[in-house]
Amino acid sequence: MIKLKIDNKSVEVPEGTSVMEAAKAAGIHIPAMCMDEELDHFTSCMLCLVKDATGRMFPSCSVAASGGMRITTDDEEIREGRRIALELLLSEHVGDCEAPCQLGCPAHMNIPLMNRLIAGGKWEESLRVVKRDIALPAVLGRICPAPCEGACHRKTVDEAVSICLLKRFVGDENDLHPWPVPALNGKRAAIVGAGPAGLAAAYYLRLKGVDAHLFDRAGKPGGQLRTAISHDILPEEVLDKEINTILETGVVFHGGVTVNDTFFDELKNSYDALVLATGNIDDLTKSFQLKGTPKGIEVNRETYETSEKGVFAIGNVIRSSRLAVRSVAQGKEAAFSVIQYLNDETIRGEPRMFNSRFGKLHDLEFAEYLKEANPARRHFPSADFSGFTPGEAIEEARRCMHCDCRAAGNCKLRIYSDNCQADQKRFQTTPRRAITKQIQTSGVVYEKEKCIKCGICVRLTKKYREKFGLTFIGRGFDVIIGIPFDESLDAALVQTAQMVARHCPTGALEIREMN
Amino acid sequence: MENTSRIVDRIIAEKGKEKKALISILQAIQKELNYLPKEALRHVGEHTGITPAEIISVATFYSQFRLRPAGEHMIKICVGTACHVKGSGQVYDAFARKFGLGEGETTDRKGQYTLEKVSCLGCCTLAPVVQIDQVTYGHVTTSQVDEILADFESRAGKKEEKKFRLADGTEIQGEIRIGLGSCCVASGSDEIRKAVETTVNSYGLKVKLKHVGCVGMCHQVPLVEIVPTEGEPTLYSRVKPEDVKDIVGKHFKPPGLFSRLKGKLLDSVEYIQTDAKWEGIERYALDVRDKPVSSFLGNQIPIATEYRGIINPLDIEEYKSRGGFRAIRRALLEMTPTEVVHEVKESQIRGRGGAGFPSGIKWELVARHGDPQKYVVCNGDEGDPGAFMDRMLLESYPYRVIEGLIIGAYATGATKGFFYIRAEYPLAVRRIREALATCYRENLLGENILGSGFSFDAEIYEGAGAFVCGEETALLQSLMGNRGYPRIRPPFPAEKGYMGHPTLVNNVETLAQISFILREGAGLFNSIGTIHSKGTKVFALAGKVVRGGLIEVPMGTTIRQVIFEIGGGIANGRTFKAVQIGGPSGGCIPASLADTPIDFESLTEMGAMMGSGGLVVLDDSDCMVDIARFFLSFTQHESCGKCTFCRLGTRRMLDILEKVTQGKARREDLDELEKVALWTKKGSLCGLGKTAPNPVLSTLKYFREEYEAHLEGRCPTGKCTHLIKYQVNEKCIGCTLCAQVCPVNAIPFTPHEKHVIDTGVCIRCDACRPACPENAIDVF
Repeated sequence: MIKLKIDNKSVEVPEGTSVMEAAKAAGIHIPAMCMDEELDHFTSCMLCLVKDATGRMFPSCSVAASGGMRITTDDEEIREGRRIALELLLSEHVGDCEAPCQLGCPAHMNIPLMNRLIAGGKWEESLRVVKRDIALPAVLGRICPAPCEGACHRKTVDEAVSICLLKRFVGDENDLHPWPVPALNGKRAAIVGAGPAGLAAAYYLRLKGVDAHLFDRAGKPGGQLRTAISHDILPEEVLDKEINTILETGVVFHGGVTVNDTFFDELKNSYDALVLATGNIDDLTKSFQLKGTPKGIEVNRETYETSEKGVFAIGNVIRSSRLAVRSVAQGKEAAFSVIQYLNDETIRGEPRMFNSRFGKLHDLEFAEYLKEANPARRHFPSADFSGFTPGEAIEEARRCMHCDCRAAGNCKLRIYSDNCQADQKRFQTTPRRAITKQIQTSGVVYEKEKCIKCGICVRLTKKYREKFGLTFIGRGFDVIIGIPFDESLDAALVQTAQMVARHCPTGALEIREMN
Repeated sequence: MENTSRIVDRIIAEKGKEKKALISILQAIQKELNYLPKEALRHVGEHTGITPAEIISVATFYSQFRLRPAGEHMIKICVGTACHVKGSGQVYDAFARKFGLGEGETTDRKGQYTLEKVSCLGCCTLAPVVQIDQVTYGHVTTSQVDEILADFESRAGKKEEKKFRLADGTEIQGEIRIGLGSCCVASGSDEIRKAVETTVNSYGLKVKLKHVGCVGMCHQVPLVEIVPTEGEPTLYSRVKPEDVKDIVGKHFKPPGLFSRLKGKLLDSVEYIQTDAKWEGIERYALDVRDKPVSSFLGNQIPIATEYRGIINPLDIEEYKSRGGFRAIRRALLEMTPTEVVHEVKESQIRGRGGAGFPSGIKWELVARHGDPQKYVVCNGDEGDPGAFMDRMLLESYPYRVIEGLIIGAYATGATKGFFYIRAEYPLAVRRIREALATCYRENLLGENILGSGFSFDAEIYEGAGAFVCGEETALLQSLMGNRGYPRIRPPFPAEKGYMGHPTLVNNVETLAQISFILREGAGLFNSIGTIHSKGTKVFALAGKVVRGGLIEVPMGTTIRQVIFEIGGGIANGRTFKAVQIGGPSGGCIPASLADTPIDFESLTEMGAMMGSGGLVVLDDSDCMVDIARFFLSFTQHESCGKCTFCRLGTRRMLDILEKVTQGKARREDLDELEKVALWTKKGSLCGLGKTAPNPVLSTLKYFREEYEAHLEGRCPTGKCTHLIKYQVNEKCIGCTLCAQVCPVNAIPFTPHEKHVIDTGVCIRCDACRPACPENAIDVF
């Protein structure tokens, strides 16, 4: 047995144990991408750099622990090295973690997933996806100018996927809140203003176990949704039905209440947190004595905290906007901040992951992306205000090219880039490579421009004696993982397809079927 | 015609079916079929135990292999350091223009010529160099493309002239030595050899014609030395074939009547020669006692290059008569392996391959290992674009290197050895092959060597073009038929090397010094040099120096001594600016540090490295950013691609440097460049990546102001084509020569008028400037 110290923790391991394994035994995780439990070390990604007592850096995956070592696995220098390694990898990594439509959506809704579920006829599941980020899909499906469609990659091929109408379809098809509401946790929040922002904030706070009370001057909730939009576009019954699903979760509505400065102070005292969503700023809101900007109440753009502790502001009161979806989005985001505040945590707002992005799709890439999409042109409902029939919705949803990455949830490159706050653009000094998608009929997709050349798949196909398998082709910067003799992916991965897809640390090799 | 599968079957039968035979199988296929056709590779996969994945990964890793057919003739354009600083990039462009090659194309439309950049042809003193098949052209300029092709085509189909027969040994009047190192051959020594043979034959002279290896005076090639039986030897440099008759006639009198008549003629020639008005061949004569020559040779101590210019590389008797194989006898017959290891340790010799690891300790590690199966490998995968000492040692002193390897095997208990030699060194391969055969005949190899009871076999393994294979773990992978991917050390090859057994890997130069240590004793060796670096070091001195060539100097010699005493200073009256030491792993040391003694430590301290031992002298016309970019483009191209920092770090550094040379960089880019450089150094897996940033870091350290000038859109030396303009000045006499050589018609044909260069059309190929007889073209 060997005794050593890792980050000042003593650990004893059998001879021949790598420093990385020894760290694991001490409960310390060292990031790595080219290591695989089934295989020997390969020493490629260099993320696992650690330091010995002399300050010398080495990859911990492939150096054996020796007696008396004093290893540091995390300090400023090591973090800088990891970050640069990741930024170098990202500089040639061509892929979107999340689809551009999702990034374009102010509410950050997982649109491709919604589309996949619609295409599979799974209405309720699709509603769950939508409602995770958008409290009022049927409403927004009628009034949203759809910035998501402006970002849609399909737009560069022919026309954007009809995302907004699909979302409306999901909202119209379901009239219940789609998942169980948790019991109250004893915290109370007051939300002033029952427009789209306030409704969303109340809804998501209630869904996190907070006793949410909505106050509004009007007798019915809805704010400008009820007053500023023609009923042809947004029929009242649609609005009522969708607001109802919110109130059904247990949000308490207090109508006909004007909140003036004294009542504001009262609310502050009797509730644990207060969210201001009163719509465009007026003299009344000015009297609350919160710090302001020329456009409204001043808030932290990430967390919606105002100058007063425990008071948050969202929607038009911070800045006038005609985008209801933005208000709905802020309601959701503020709920995160409120919860963090109530739990005495650092207030960060809604967590956002690192996103790899490559920008516009090039002409040559259309064909690659269409490999996974319905080639038909966009479907427009016959009448002005009508939505899709289920059949139409399925056809339209199938037009989605699934620009999101299959590995968005478990990609090591993304997770570590997020941890290290890597900047993808830092070393992007040359034009990006063109995206390709190789699709195996038996269920694997290979997008080689996402590959980090860790060689796990090469080593696995060798270990399991694939006849062709995958191999390194070329050298240096131009090295790619490919199939010998230009054989098909099917021929390369006869027995190991699912396995290599599971072991790939990024989204380069993935199981085709998407969640 | 034999079909592909038959050819492949035959090759497999000859080379074997094991993976370690893969590289030689592929080399043989390419030799016969011009490239590696897919069906041939599939056939290999089906008829050996080697998998398709292994075949493709190896075939695409080494730059020697082609997966597409090449043209009938290969035009190799040397882009080594010395050639680069003398404009080889522009020469390449000129050829590419000639053949109308687009981006990424290398073969002309007729399939006649394929253009290839090679990192070093080993003729640095003739830079820039172009080789078409086996014919080498030196000092090429961009406007000579047509001339070269015409000359090459005119040679096609010509037969070899009559071979010289050796004069009978009884009546030797003397010896004529002709240098046959690569530089000499490249500069036309073969033509000289033919001319000498013809002259000697037609005069019926009784002289011995001798081929000697590299003398090291590559700046004076081709060299011919006349050594009369009586009297002083005379060395003739830069000899031309037409001079041979006179040179030979001057020293040797033909015997027969008819010849005597000719002799009279020759006398008269000699008379004319000494006439003050006629320089003739005297211009080429060098007396070894002359100052320049004696200072070139005088400061040197030849150990690895002992008896240079004197011994015939393949004459084993001569090698023996000059102390050769005495070391083997002493080691094998009088010493135990432990004593041999001790002697090597005592000598304090350090590996000459780059990092300077103490060789004795390496030997000891292998010797002490209990594994009964051990190997020794001579690392001759020299790939530095500006160094060629290993090639020269292998070519000129094959027995000395073999002797070192055998001693190493004896000391460590190895039974089998390999010479891993770059495929780009055919002459070295041939010489070692012949020398090995001779050693087998002489019982210096094989069973029970010299009756010592020790048995040892050695063979040659040809590399396939990958600089990274100079790294020992990559080299061993290559030797086993894999991609040259290095791996982390430990375990060191001394514990786990070839096929998992303890393996001693030593560089050519290290092995070439072993026989001296064993013959003369460790004490003599370690009396030379500095405290931590003992003995001598061979350098390839090239670039802007008057006398380039291979030199062997004691460790601790200063840079100034090397450049000014041995090298004769800077050529063309320019100013010494810096010296690039150690090739792509090394760095640029400024003139202000020229008094630093050269040894392993001092170089590392200055941000350079002993590296391969390339020593390229730069003058005030060289752009340091361009030099850094040049080396980075080399290492970037040679990175194996295994680890992140090297694969991407070298590339991103190169991208930034290109931005700098194009005048598009901002100050932040320099900071990022430095950041990537530092991390590539810290974080790379092997020596290639760890040292690749040195040229960048050292130039940033010593020449930062030059980088900064580029940020402002200025290249102070006028080297970076994006930042310079060509213009005709008042000296122009309207001769039209520049207009004639301009490949893109940027200079209108205006006889008797001052010419004008259309800057918009000009591609800055530099064809016009040297063509101008009046120095009327300015670059700024």
